Amino acid sequence: MIGTNFTFLDGTIVGLYLLGTMAAGLMVRKYVGNVEAFLIAGREMDVYLGIASLAATEFGIVTAMYTAQNGYQFGFAGATPGIITAAAMLFVGVTGFCVKPLRDAGVTTIPELFEHKFGPRVRWASGVVIVLGGLLNMGVFLRTGGEFLILVSGGNINYLELIMSLLLIAVAVYTVLGGMLSVLVTDFLQFVVMSVGLIIVTVMIFLRVGWGSLADAVMRHYGNGGFNPFVNPNMGWPYVLFNLFLNLAAVLTWQTTISRLLAAKDTKTGLKIYKGTSFFFVCRFLIPGIWGIAALATLSPGIVGTDTLHAMPRFLAFFVPAGVMGILVAAMLAADMSTDSSYMLAWGSVIYNDILAPFRKKPWSEKKGLFWNRTIVALIGVFLLFYGLWYPLKGDLWTYLGVTGTIYLSSMSVLLIACCYWKKANNWGATASITVGAAIPFSFLVLQQLESTRPLMEKIGPYFSGIAAYVCTAAAMVIGSLMKTSQDHQGEQRL
Amino acid sequence: MIGHWFWWALSLACLLWYCTITVYVAIKGVMDIRRMLQRLRERNAAPPGGASPIKK
Repeated sequence: MIGTNFTFLDGTIVGLYLLGTMAAGLMVRKYVGNVEAFLIAGREMDVYLGIASLAATEFGIVTAMYTAQNGYQFGFAGATPGIITAAAMLFVGVTGFCVKPLRDAGVTTIPELFEHKFGPRVRWASGVVIVLGGLLNMGVFLRTGGEFLILVSGGNINYLELIMSLLLIAVAVYTVLGGMLSVLVTDFLQFVVMSVGLIIVTVMIFLRVGWGSLADAVMRHYGNGGFNPFVNPNMGWPYVLFNLFLNLAAVLTWQTTISRLLAAKDTKTGLKIYKGTSFFFVCRFLIPGIWGIAALATLSPGIVGTDTLHAMPRFLAFFVPAGVMGILVAAMLAADMSTDSSYMLAWGSVIYNDILAPFRKKPWSEKKGLFWNRTIVALIGVFLLFYGLWYPLKGDLWTYLGVTGTIYLSSMSVLLIACCYWKKANNWGATASITVGAAIPFSFLVLQQLESTRPLMEKIGPYFSGIAAYVCTAAAMVIGSLMKTSQDHQGEQRL
Repeated sequence: MIGHWFWWALSLACLLWYCTITVYVAIKGVMDIRRMLQRLRERNAAPPGGASPIKK
Protein backbone atom coordinates (compact mmCIF):
# COMPACT_ATOMS: atom_id res chain seq x y z
CA MET A 1 0.00 0.00 0.00
CA ILE A 2 1.35 3.45 -0.86
CA GLY A 3 0.25 6.83 0.52
CA THR A 4 -1.53 9.69 -1.18
CA ASN A 5 -1.08 13.44 -1.36
CA PHE A 6 -4.80 14.21 -1.09
CA THR A 7 -5.26 16.90 1.60
CA PHE A 8 -7.99 19.17 3.03
CA LEU A 9 -7.13 21.78 0.38
CA ASP A 10 -7.78 19.22 -2.35
CA GLY A 11 -11.07 18.25 -0.75
CA THR A 12 -12.11 21.94 -0.76
CA ILE A 13 -11.28 22.29 -4.47
CA VAL A 14 -13.34 19.19 -5.25
CA GLY A 15 -16.27 20.41 -3.10
CA LEU A 16 -16.31 23.81 -4.82
CA TYR A 17 -16.24 22.19 -8.23
CA LEU A 18 -19.17 19.92 -7.35
CA LEU A 19 -21.23 22.85 -6.04
CA GLY A 20 -20.52 24.89 -9.19
CA THR A 21 -21.51 22.04 -11.49
CA MET A 22 -24.73 21.26 -9.64
CA ALA A 23 -25.71 24.94 -9.63
CA ALA A 24 -25.08 25.28 -13.38
CA GLY A 25 -26.94 22.06 -14.15
CA LEU A 26 -29.97 23.07 -12.10
CA MET A 27 -30.10 26.68 -13.35
CA VAL A 28 -30.99 25.75 -16.92
CA ARG A 29 -33.87 23.42 -16.01
CA LYS A 30 -36.35 26.28 -16.47
CA TYR A 31 -35.71 26.23 -20.23
CA VAL A 32 -37.02 22.66 -20.53
CA GLY A 33 -40.55 23.19 -21.77
CA ASN A 34 -41.05 20.09 -23.90
CA VAL A 35 -39.66 16.67 -24.79
CA GLU A 36 -37.59 18.02 -27.67
CA ALA A 37 -35.79 20.46 -25.37
CA PHE A 38 -35.25 17.67 -22.82
CA LEU A 39 -33.83 15.12 -25.27
CA ILE A 40 -32.00 17.19 -27.90
CA ALA A 41 -31.85 20.73 -26.46
CA GLY A 42 -34.42 21.92 -29.00
CA ARG A 43 -31.77 21.36 -31.72
CA GLU A 44 -30.13 24.65 -30.76
CA MET A 45 -26.58 23.47 -30.07
CA ASP A 46 -23.76 25.24 -31.92
CA VAL A 47 -20.27 24.03 -32.91
CA TYR A 48 -18.09 24.92 -29.91
CA LEU A 49 -20.57 23.81 -27.30
CA GLY A 50 -20.92 20.60 -29.34
CA ILE A 51 -17.16 20.01 -29.38
CA ALA A 52 -16.88 20.62 -25.62
CA SER A 53 -19.87 18.41 -24.88
CA LEU A 54 -18.78 15.53 -27.10
CA ALA A 55 -15.22 15.64 -25.78
CA ALA A 56 -16.43 15.73 -22.16
CA THR A 57 -18.94 12.93 -22.73
CA GLU A 58 -16.48 10.61 -24.41
CA PHE A 59 -13.92 10.98 -21.63
CA GLY A 60 -14.92 9.58 -18.25
CA ILE A 61 -12.88 8.09 -15.39
CA VAL A 62 -13.58 4.75 -17.02
CA THR A 63 -11.93 6.07 -20.21
CA ALA A 64 -8.87 7.24 -18.32
CA MET A 65 -8.70 3.86 -16.57
CA TYR A 66 -8.89 1.62 -19.65
CA THR A 67 -6.67 3.81 -21.82
CA ALA A 68 -4.10 3.96 -19.00
CA GLN A 69 -4.42 0.18 -18.66
CA ASN A 70 -3.75 -0.06 -22.41
CA GLY A 71 -0.65 2.09 -21.94
CA TYR A 72 0.54 -0.06 -19.04
CA GLN A 73 -0.15 -3.37 -20.85
CA PHE A 74 0.75 -2.51 -24.44
CA GLY A 75 2.93 0.62 -24.26
CA PHE A 76 2.33 3.37 -26.83
CA ALA A 77 0.76 0.81 -29.17
CA GLY A 78 -2.17 0.76 -26.72
CA ALA A 79 -3.23 4.15 -28.13
CA THR A 80 -3.93 2.60 -31.55
CA PRO A 81 -7.75 2.63 -31.09
CA GLY A 82 -7.56 6.39 -30.54
CA ILE A 83 -5.80 6.95 -33.86
CA ILE A 84 -8.34 4.73 -35.62
CA THR A 85 -11.27 6.61 -34.04
CA ALA A 86 -9.79 9.99 -34.96
CA ALA A 87 -9.37 8.87 -38.58
CA ALA A 88 -12.97 7.57 -38.62
CA MET A 89 -14.34 10.81 -37.13
CA LEU A 90 -12.46 12.91 -39.68
CA PHE A 91 -13.59 10.67 -42.57
CA VAL A 92 -17.23 10.86 -41.48
CA GLY A 93 -17.01 14.60 -40.76
CA VAL A 94 -15.52 15.38 -44.18
CA THR A 95 -17.69 13.05 -46.27
CA GLY A 96 -20.90 13.09 -44.20
CA PHE A 97 -20.96 9.29 -44.65
CA CYS A 98 -24.27 8.09 -43.12
CA VAL A 99 -24.52 10.96 -40.63
CA LYS A 100 -25.58 13.51 -43.27
CA PRO A 101 -28.69 11.57 -44.36
CA LEU A 102 -29.34 10.76 -40.68
CA ARG A 103 -29.30 14.42 -39.58
CA ASP A 104 -31.14 15.56 -42.72
CA ALA A 105 -33.98 13.15 -41.86
CA GLY A 106 -34.73 15.23 -38.72
CA VAL A 107 -35.16 12.19 -36.47
CA THR A 108 -34.53 12.04 -32.71
CA THR A 109 -32.83 8.62 -32.64
CA ILE A 110 -31.31 6.17 -35.16
CA PRO A 111 -34.13 3.56 -34.79
CA GLU A 112 -36.62 6.26 -35.80
CA LEU A 113 -34.79 6.51 -39.14
CA PHE A 114 -34.89 2.73 -39.51
CA GLU A 115 -38.68 2.73 -39.26
CA HIS A 116 -38.87 4.62 -42.59
CA LYS A 117 -36.95 1.84 -44.36
CA PHE A 118 -37.47 -1.34 -42.33
CA GLY A 119 -40.80 -0.82 -40.51
CA PRO A 120 -41.86 -0.37 -36.85
CA ARG A 121 -40.77 -3.82 -35.61
CA VAL A 122 -37.18 -3.23 -36.67
CA ARG A 123 -37.33 0.18 -35.00
CA TRP A 124 -38.44 -1.46 -31.76
CA ALA A 125 -35.85 -4.28 -31.95
CA SER A 126 -33.13 -1.73 -32.72
CA GLY A 127 -34.12 0.22 -29.64
CA VAL A 128 -33.90 -2.92 -27.50
CA VAL A 129 -30.37 -3.89 -28.65
CA ILE A 130 -29.13 -0.31 -28.39
CA VAL A 131 -30.32 -0.08 -24.79
CA LEU A 132 -29.11 -3.61 -23.92
CA GLY A 133 -25.61 -3.03 -25.30
CA GLY A 134 -25.43 0.50 -23.96
CA LEU A 135 -26.48 -0.32 -20.42
CA LEU A 136 -24.23 -3.39 -20.18
CA ASN A 137 -21.43 -1.16 -21.41
CA MET A 138 -22.17 1.58 -18.93
CA GLY A 139 -22.66 -0.91 -16.10
CA VAL A 140 -18.95 -0.95 -15.21
CA PHE A 141 -18.53 2.83 -15.19
CA LEU A 142 -19.48 3.40 -11.57
CA ARG A 143 -17.32 0.78 -9.91
CA THR A 144 -14.31 1.66 -12.05
CA GLY A 145 -14.77 5.35 -11.32
CA GLY A 146 -15.14 4.63 -7.61
CA GLU A 147 -11.96 2.52 -7.58
CA PHE A 148 -10.03 5.38 -9.18
CA LEU A 149 -11.27 7.95 -6.67
CA ILE A 150 -10.56 5.70 -3.67
CA LEU A 151 -7.05 4.78 -4.86
CA VAL A 152 -6.07 8.35 -5.73
CA SER A 153 -7.51 10.04 -2.65
CA GLY A 154 -6.49 7.26 -0.26
CA GLY A 155 -10.07 6.77 0.93
CA ASN A 156 -11.47 3.66 2.58
CA ILE A 157 -12.47 0.98 0.03
CA ASN A 158 -15.57 0.27 2.17
CA TYR A 159 -16.91 3.69 1.15
CA LEU A 160 -16.68 2.90 -2.56
CA GLU A 161 -20.38 2.05 -2.92
CA LEU A 162 -21.39 5.10 -0.92
CA ILE A 163 -19.25 7.44 -3.04
CA MET A 164 -20.58 5.85 -6.23
CA SER A 165 -24.16 6.23 -5.08
CA LEU A 166 -23.77 9.89 -4.05
CA LEU A 167 -22.05 10.76 -7.32
CA LEU A 168 -24.76 9.07 -9.34
CA ILE A 169 -27.54 10.77 -7.36
CA ALA A 170 -25.93 14.18 -7.94
CA VAL A 171 -25.67 13.53 -11.67
CA ALA A 172 -29.17 12.06 -11.86
CA VAL A 173 -30.71 15.11 -10.14
CA TYR A 174 -29.58 17.62 -12.75
CA THR A 175 -30.05 15.20 -15.67
CA VAL A 176 -33.59 14.31 -14.60
CA LEU A 177 -34.55 17.96 -14.17
CA GLY A 178 -32.68 19.63 -17.03
CA GLY A 179 -32.20 16.85 -19.59
CA MET A 180 -29.91 17.63 -22.52
CA LEU A 181 -29.73 21.34 -21.62
CA SER A 182 -28.24 20.58 -18.20
CA VAL A 183 -26.00 17.96 -19.79
CA LEU A 184 -24.64 20.45 -22.34
CA VAL A 185 -23.99 23.24 -19.85
CA THR A 186 -22.37 20.96 -17.26
CA ASP A 187 -20.43 19.19 -20.04
CA PHE A 188 -18.98 22.53 -21.04
CA LEU A 189 -17.79 23.31 -17.49
CA GLN A 190 -16.53 19.77 -17.14
CA PHE A 191 -14.60 19.97 -20.42
CA VAL A 192 -12.69 23.03 -19.17
CA VAL A 193 -11.94 21.57 -15.71
CA MET A 194 -11.03 18.18 -17.20
CA SER A 195 -8.68 19.69 -19.77
CA VAL A 196 -6.83 21.76 -17.15
CA GLY A 197 -6.29 18.65 -15.02
CA LEU A 198 -5.13 16.53 -17.96
CA ILE A 199 -2.67 19.17 -19.17
CA ILE A 200 -1.13 19.81 -15.73
CA VAL A 201 -0.60 16.12 -14.88
CA THR A 202 0.79 15.24 -18.33
CA VAL A 203 3.23 18.19 -18.34
CA MET A 204 4.37 17.15 -14.85
CA ILE A 205 5.02 13.61 -16.10
CA PHE A 206 7.08 14.90 -19.04
CA LEU A 207 9.10 17.16 -16.73
CA ARG A 208 9.60 14.81 -13.77
CA VAL A 209 9.61 11.32 -15.30
CA GLY A 210 10.88 12.38 -18.72
CA TRP A 211 10.22 11.15 -22.24
CA GLY A 212 13.42 9.05 -22.23
CA SER A 213 12.31 7.07 -19.16
CA LEU A 214 8.85 6.47 -20.65
CA ALA A 215 10.23 5.22 -23.97
CA ASP A 216 12.90 3.11 -22.21
CA ALA A 217 10.27 1.47 -19.96
CA VAL A 218 8.13 0.55 -22.97
CA MET A 219 11.15 -0.80 -24.87
CA ARG A 220 12.35 -2.80 -21.85
CA HIS A 221 8.95 -4.43 -21.21
CA TYR A 222 7.51 -4.84 -24.71
CA GLY A 223 10.28 -4.25 -27.24
CA ASN A 224 9.13 -2.95 -30.64
CA GLY A 225 5.66 -4.31 -29.86
CA GLY A 226 5.24 -1.41 -27.43
CA PHE A 227 5.42 1.01 -30.34
CA ASN A 228 3.86 -0.99 -33.16
CA PRO A 229 0.60 -2.92 -32.59
CA PHE A 230 1.21 -5.24 -35.55
CA VAL A 231 4.36 -6.75 -33.97
CA ASN A 232 2.95 -6.89 -30.43
CA PRO A 233 2.20 -10.57 -29.60
CA ASN A 234 -0.88 -9.62 -27.54
CA MET A 235 -2.32 -7.36 -30.22
CA GLY A 236 -1.46 -8.06 -33.87
CA TRP A 237 -3.79 -7.64 -36.83
CA PRO A 238 -6.88 -9.11 -35.07
CA TYR A 239 -6.70 -6.32 -32.46
CA VAL A 240 -6.29 -3.62 -35.11
CA LEU A 241 -9.04 -5.03 -37.34
CA PHE A 242 -11.49 -5.45 -34.44
CA ASN A 243 -10.82 -1.87 -33.35
CA LEU A 244 -11.23 -0.64 -36.92
CA PHE A 245 -14.72 -2.18 -37.13
CA LEU A 246 -15.59 -1.18 -33.58
CA ASN A 247 -14.53 2.44 -33.81
CA LEU A 248 -16.01 3.11 -37.25
CA ALA A 249 -19.29 1.63 -36.01
CA ALA A 250 -19.09 3.74 -32.83
CA VAL A 251 -18.48 6.92 -34.79
CA LEU A 252 -21.55 6.18 -36.92
CA THR A 253 -23.98 4.92 -34.29
CA TRP A 254 -22.80 5.41 -30.68
CA GLN A 255 -25.86 6.98 -29.13
CA THR A 256 -24.06 9.71 -27.17
CA THR A 257 -22.14 10.81 -30.27
CA ILE A 258 -25.24 10.67 -32.43
CA SER A 259 -27.30 12.65 -29.92
CA ARG A 260 -24.75 15.51 -30.35
CA LEU A 261 -25.20 15.30 -34.11
CA LEU A 262 -28.98 15.34 -33.74
CA ALA A 263 -28.92 18.19 -31.20
CA ALA A 264 -26.83 20.33 -33.60
CA LYS A 265 -28.71 23.24 -35.12
CA ASP A 266 -28.15 21.89 -38.66
CA THR A 267 -26.28 19.20 -40.61
CA LYS A 268 -23.33 21.47 -41.40
CA THR A 269 -22.85 22.18 -37.68
CA GLY A 270 -23.03 18.46 -36.92
CA LEU A 271 -20.29 17.69 -39.45
CA LYS A 272 -18.12 20.51 -38.07
CA ILE A 273 -18.43 18.96 -34.60
CA TYR A 274 -17.20 15.64 -36.03
CA LYS A 275 -14.20 17.27 -37.71
CA GLY A 276 -13.41 19.54 -34.76
CA THR A 277 -13.49 16.69 -32.25
CA SER A 278 -11.61 14.12 -34.35
CA PHE A 279 -8.09 14.72 -32.99
CA PHE A 280 -9.44 14.70 -29.45
CA PHE A 281 -9.84 10.93 -29.81
CA VAL A 282 -6.07 10.54 -30.20
CA CYS A 283 -5.61 12.58 -26.99
CA ARG A 284 -8.31 10.51 -25.30
CA PHE A 285 -6.19 7.38 -25.65
CA LEU A 286 -2.67 8.78 -25.62
CA ILE A 287 -2.73 11.15 -22.64
CA PRO A 288 -4.00 8.63 -20.06
CA GLY A 289 -1.90 6.05 -21.92
CA ILE A 290 1.16 8.13 -21.01
CA TRP A 291 -0.03 8.10 -17.37
CA GLY A 292 -0.18 4.30 -17.56
CA ILE A 293 3.30 4.16 -19.11
CA ALA A 294 4.57 6.47 -16.33
CA ALA A 295 3.22 3.89 -13.85
CA LEU A 296 5.09 1.19 -15.78
CA ALA A 297 8.29 3.25 -15.60
CA THR A 298 8.12 4.15 -11.92
CA LEU A 299 6.18 1.46 -9.99
CA SER A 300 7.40 -2.00 -9.11
CA PRO A 301 5.06 -4.90 -10.02
CA GLY A 302 4.59 -5.56 -6.30
CA ILE A 303 2.96 -2.15 -5.80
CA VAL A 304 0.73 -2.49 -8.87
CA GLY A 305 -0.47 -5.96 -7.90
CA THR A 306 -2.31 -8.31 -10.25
CA ASP A 307 -4.90 -5.81 -11.49
CA THR A 308 -3.19 -3.59 -14.05
CA LEU A 309 -6.28 -1.35 -14.07
CA HIS A 310 -5.07 0.06 -10.74
CA ALA A 311 -1.54 0.90 -11.91
CA MET A 312 -2.33 4.46 -13.06
CA PRO A 313 -4.30 5.61 -9.97
CA ARG A 314 -1.66 4.11 -7.68
CA PHE A 315 0.98 6.07 -9.59
CA LEU A 316 -0.99 9.34 -9.43
CA ALA A 317 -1.65 8.90 -5.69
CA PHE A 318 2.03 9.47 -4.88
CA PHE A 319 3.14 11.44 -7.94
CA VAL A 320 0.68 14.34 -7.91
CA PRO A 321 1.38 16.89 -5.14
CA ALA A 322 -1.20 18.37 -2.76
CA GLY A 323 -3.18 21.19 -4.37
CA VAL A 324 -2.75 19.74 -7.85
CA MET A 325 -4.35 16.56 -6.50
CA GLY A 326 -7.59 18.51 -5.91
CA ILE A 327 -7.53 19.75 -9.51
CA LEU A 328 -6.89 16.20 -10.73
CA VAL A 329 -9.75 14.68 -8.73
CA ALA A 330 -12.07 17.55 -9.77
CA ALA A 331 -11.03 16.95 -13.38
CA MET A 332 -11.72 13.25 -13.15
CA LEU A 333 -15.04 13.83 -11.37
CA ALA A 334 -15.88 16.29 -14.16
CA ALA A 335 -15.03 13.66 -16.73
CA ASP A 336 -17.12 11.04 -14.97
CA MET A 337 -20.17 13.20 -14.31
CA SER A 338 -20.37 14.42 -17.91
CA THR A 339 -20.13 10.84 -19.17
CA ASP A 340 -22.73 9.46 -16.74
CA SER A 341 -25.27 12.21 -17.41
CA SER A 342 -24.94 11.98 -21.19
CA TYR A 343 -25.11 8.20 -21.20
CA MET A 344 -28.22 8.09 -18.99
CA LEU A 345 -29.94 10.61 -21.23
CA ALA A 346 -28.82 8.91 -24.45
CA TRP A 347 -30.14 5.46 -23.54
CA GLY A 348 -33.22 7.04 -21.94
CA SER A 349 -34.03 8.82 -25.19
CA VAL A 350 -34.01 5.48 -27.07
CA ILE A 351 -36.25 3.82 -24.46
CA TYR A 352 -38.75 6.68 -24.67
CA ASN A 353 -38.60 7.34 -28.40
CA ASP A 354 -38.34 3.80 -29.76
CA ILE A 355 -39.07 1.07 -27.19
CA LEU A 356 -42.12 2.83 -25.79
CA ALA A 357 -43.26 3.96 -29.27
CA PRO A 358 -45.77 1.08 -29.72
CA PHE A 359 -47.43 2.07 -26.42
CA ARG A 360 -48.12 5.60 -27.66
CA LYS A 361 -51.10 4.94 -29.92
CA LYS A 362 -52.09 8.58 -29.49
CA PRO A 363 -49.45 11.32 -29.07
CA TRP A 364 -48.68 12.01 -25.43
CA SER A 365 -48.89 15.51 -23.99
CA GLU A 366 -45.58 17.30 -23.43
CA LYS A 367 -46.16 17.04 -19.67
CA LYS A 368 -46.66 13.29 -19.81
CA GLY A 369 -43.69 12.89 -22.17
CA LEU A 370 -41.42 14.85 -19.84
CA PHE A 371 -42.62 12.83 -16.85
CA TRP A 372 -41.81 9.54 -18.58
CA ASN A 373 -38.42 10.76 -19.82
CA ARG A 374 -37.45 11.85 -16.32
CA THR A 375 -38.69 8.58 -14.84
CA ILE A 376 -36.69 6.54 -17.37
CA VAL A 377 -33.48 8.46 -16.63
CA ALA A 378 -34.03 7.90 -12.89
CA LEU A 379 -34.66 4.16 -13.44
CA ILE A 380 -31.47 3.87 -15.52
CA GLY A 381 -29.64 5.39 -12.55
CA VAL A 382 -31.10 2.72 -10.24
CA PHE A 383 -30.14 -0.06 -12.68
CA LEU A 384 -26.58 1.23 -12.92
CA LEU A 385 -26.23 1.31 -9.19
CA PHE A 386 -27.16 -2.36 -8.80
CA TYR A 387 -25.52 -3.76 -11.96
CA GLY A 388 -22.35 -1.80 -11.23
CA LEU A 389 -22.10 -3.43 -7.82
CA TRP A 390 -22.36 -7.11 -8.74
CA TYR A 391 -20.91 -7.63 -12.24
CA PRO A 392 -17.45 -9.28 -11.94
CA LEU A 393 -15.24 -7.88 -14.70
CA LYS A 394 -13.17 -10.50 -16.56
CA GLY A 395 -10.20 -9.54 -18.75
CA ASP A 396 -9.23 -6.01 -19.63
CA LEU A 397 -11.74 -3.19 -19.43
CA TRP A 398 -11.40 -1.88 -23.01
CA THR A 399 -12.15 -5.34 -24.36
CA TYR A 400 -15.24 -5.70 -22.12
CA LEU A 401 -16.48 -2.33 -23.36
CA GLY A 402 -15.72 -3.33 -26.94
CA VAL A 403 -17.57 -6.64 -26.65
CA THR A 404 -20.67 -5.17 -24.94
CA GLY A 405 -20.69 -2.25 -27.38
CA THR A 406 -20.54 -4.68 -30.28
CA ILE A 407 -23.93 -6.12 -29.17
CA TYR A 408 -25.50 -3.18 -30.92
CA LEU A 409 -22.70 -1.42 -32.79
CA SER A 410 -22.29 -4.27 -35.28
CA SER A 411 -25.95 -4.46 -36.31
CA MET A 412 -26.77 -0.75 -36.01
CA SER A 413 -23.82 0.30 -38.18
CA VAL A 414 -24.74 -2.31 -40.81
CA LEU A 415 -28.41 -1.22 -40.71
CA LEU A 416 -27.46 2.45 -40.96
CA ILE A 417 -25.16 1.94 -43.94
CA ALA A 418 -27.73 -0.28 -45.66
CA CYS A 419 -30.57 2.12 -44.84
CA CYS A 420 -28.70 5.08 -46.35
CA TYR A 421 -27.00 3.48 -49.35
CA TRP A 422 -28.48 0.07 -50.33
CA LYS A 423 -31.81 0.11 -52.10
CA LYS A 424 -32.35 -3.66 -51.77
CA ALA A 425 -31.99 -3.64 -47.96
CA ASN A 426 -35.23 -4.69 -46.26
CA ASN A 427 -36.71 -5.84 -42.94
CA TRP A 428 -35.62 -9.50 -43.38
CA GLY A 429 -32.01 -8.45 -43.70
CA ALA A 430 -32.38 -5.98 -40.82
CA THR A 431 -33.92 -8.60 -38.49
CA ALA A 432 -31.26 -11.18 -39.34
CA SER A 433 -28.58 -8.57 -38.83
CA ILE A 434 -29.85 -7.51 -35.37
CA THR A 435 -30.17 -11.14 -34.24
CA VAL A 436 -26.69 -12.20 -35.37
CA GLY A 437 -25.07 -8.95 -34.19
CA ALA A 438 -26.44 -9.38 -30.66
CA ALA A 439 -26.07 -13.18 -30.42
CA ILE A 440 -22.31 -13.44 -31.05
CA PRO A 441 -20.97 -10.93 -28.47
CA PHE A 442 -23.70 -11.79 -25.93
CA SER A 443 -22.84 -15.50 -26.18
CA PHE A 444 -19.17 -14.66 -25.78
CA LEU A 445 -19.88 -12.69 -22.59
CA VAL A 446 -22.03 -15.45 -21.07
CA LEU A 447 -19.71 -18.35 -22.06
CA GLN A 448 -16.76 -16.38 -20.69
CA GLN A 449 -18.41 -16.42 -17.25
CA LEU A 450 -19.00 -20.22 -17.24
CA GLU A 451 -16.22 -22.45 -15.90
CA SER A 452 -16.79 -25.16 -18.52
CA THR A 453 -16.61 -22.89 -21.56
CA ARG A 454 -14.09 -20.32 -20.36
CA PRO A 455 -11.01 -22.10 -21.83
CA LEU A 456 -12.65 -22.22 -25.27
CA MET A 457 -13.59 -18.54 -25.07
CA GLU A 458 -10.04 -17.67 -24.07
CA LYS A 459 -8.79 -19.60 -27.08
CA ILE A 460 -11.13 -17.75 -29.46
CA GLY A 461 -10.50 -14.44 -27.72
CA PRO A 462 -12.49 -11.21 -27.85
CA TYR A 463 -10.88 -9.90 -31.05
CA PHE A 464 -11.87 -12.84 -33.28
CA SER A 465 -15.30 -12.94 -31.61
CA GLY A 466 -15.71 -9.22 -32.30
CA ILE A 467 -14.53 -9.47 -35.92
CA ALA A 468 -16.91 -12.39 -36.46
CA ALA A 469 -19.80 -10.31 -35.12
CA TYR A 470 -19.21 -7.50 -37.64
CA VAL A 471 -18.58 -9.78 -40.64
CA CYS A 472 -21.51 -12.12 -39.90
CA THR A 473 -23.86 -9.19 -39.22
CA ALA A 474 -23.07 -7.68 -42.63
CA ALA A 475 -23.48 -11.11 -44.27
CA ALA A 476 -26.85 -11.57 -42.50
CA MET A 477 -28.07 -8.24 -43.88
CA VAL A 478 -27.09 -9.18 -47.43
CA ILE A 479 -28.42 -12.76 -47.27
CA GLY A 480 -31.66 -11.83 -45.48
CA SER A 481 -32.43 -8.95 -47.85
CA LEU A 482 -31.68 -10.98 -50.97
CA MET A 483 -33.83 -13.89 -49.70
CA LYS A 484 -36.83 -11.60 -49.32
CA THR A 485 -36.18 -9.96 -52.68
CA SER A 486 -35.94 -13.41 -54.26
CA GLN A 487 -39.18 -14.60 -52.59
CA ASP A 488 -41.03 -11.43 -53.62
CA HIS A 489 -39.76 -11.92 -57.16
CA GLN A 490 -40.97 -15.55 -57.20
CA GLY A 491 -44.36 -14.45 -55.84
CA GLU A 492 -44.70 -11.87 -58.62
CA GLN A 493 -43.85 -14.50 -61.23
CA ARG A 494 -46.54 -16.88 -59.86
CA LEU A 495 -49.12 -14.10 -60.07
CA MET B 1 13.79 4.62 -33.84
CA ILE B 2 10.88 5.80 -35.98
CA GLY B 3 8.36 4.46 -33.45
CA HIS B 4 9.80 6.66 -30.68
CA TRP B 5 9.67 9.80 -32.82
CA PHE B 6 6.16 9.08 -34.04
CA TRP B 7 4.76 8.73 -30.53
CA TRP B 8 6.83 11.64 -29.22
CA ALA B 9 5.45 13.94 -31.95
CA LEU B 10 1.92 12.65 -31.40
CA SER B 11 2.17 13.18 -27.62
CA LEU B 12 3.32 16.77 -28.12
CA ALA B 13 0.54 17.35 -30.65
CA CYS B 14 -1.98 16.12 -28.05
CA LEU B 15 -0.70 18.55 -25.43
CA LEU B 16 -0.70 21.38 -27.96
CA TRP B 17 -4.24 20.47 -29.06
CA TYR B 18 -5.50 20.54 -25.48
CA CYS B 19 -3.70 23.80 -24.60
CA THR B 20 -5.08 25.67 -27.61
CA ILE B 21 -8.48 24.09 -28.16
CA THR B 22 -9.46 24.30 -24.49
CA VAL B 23 -8.96 28.07 -24.40
CA TYR B 24 -10.62 28.60 -27.79
CA VAL B 25 -13.59 26.33 -27.08
CA ALA B 26 -13.97 27.79 -23.56
CA ILE B 27 -14.38 31.31 -24.96
CA LYS B 28 -16.53 30.41 -27.97
CA GLY B 29 -18.57 27.86 -25.99
CA VAL B 30 -19.79 30.53 -23.53
CA MET B 31 -21.17 32.49 -26.48
CA ASP B 32 -22.81 29.34 -27.85
CA ILE B 33 -24.53 28.71 -24.49
CA ARG B 34 -25.78 32.30 -24.31
CA ARG B 35 -27.20 32.15 -27.83
CA MET B 36 -28.77 28.72 -27.23
CA LEU B 37 -30.51 29.85 -24.03
CA GLN B 38 -31.61 33.11 -25.69
CA ARG B 39 -33.26 31.21 -28.55
CA LEU B 40 -34.94 28.79 -26.15
CA ARG B 41 -36.17 31.70 -24.00
CA GLU B 42 -37.69 33.35 -27.07
CA ARG B 43 -39.28 30.09 -28.14
CA ASN B 44 -40.78 29.47 -24.69
CA ALA B 45 -42.02 33.07 -24.47
CA ALA B 46 -43.77 32.96 -27.87
CA PRO B 47 -47.59 33.09 -27.55
CA PRO B 48 -49.53 29.84 -28.12
CA GLY B 49 -49.79 29.13 -31.81
CA GLY B 50 -47.10 31.68 -32.52
CA ALA B 51 -44.17 29.53 -31.47
CA SER B 52 -41.48 28.84 -34.03
CA PRO B 53 -41.91 25.42 -35.64
CA ILE B 54 -39.98 22.45 -34.24
CA LYS B 55 -36.66 22.15 -35.96
CA LYS B 56 -36.04 19.15 -38.14
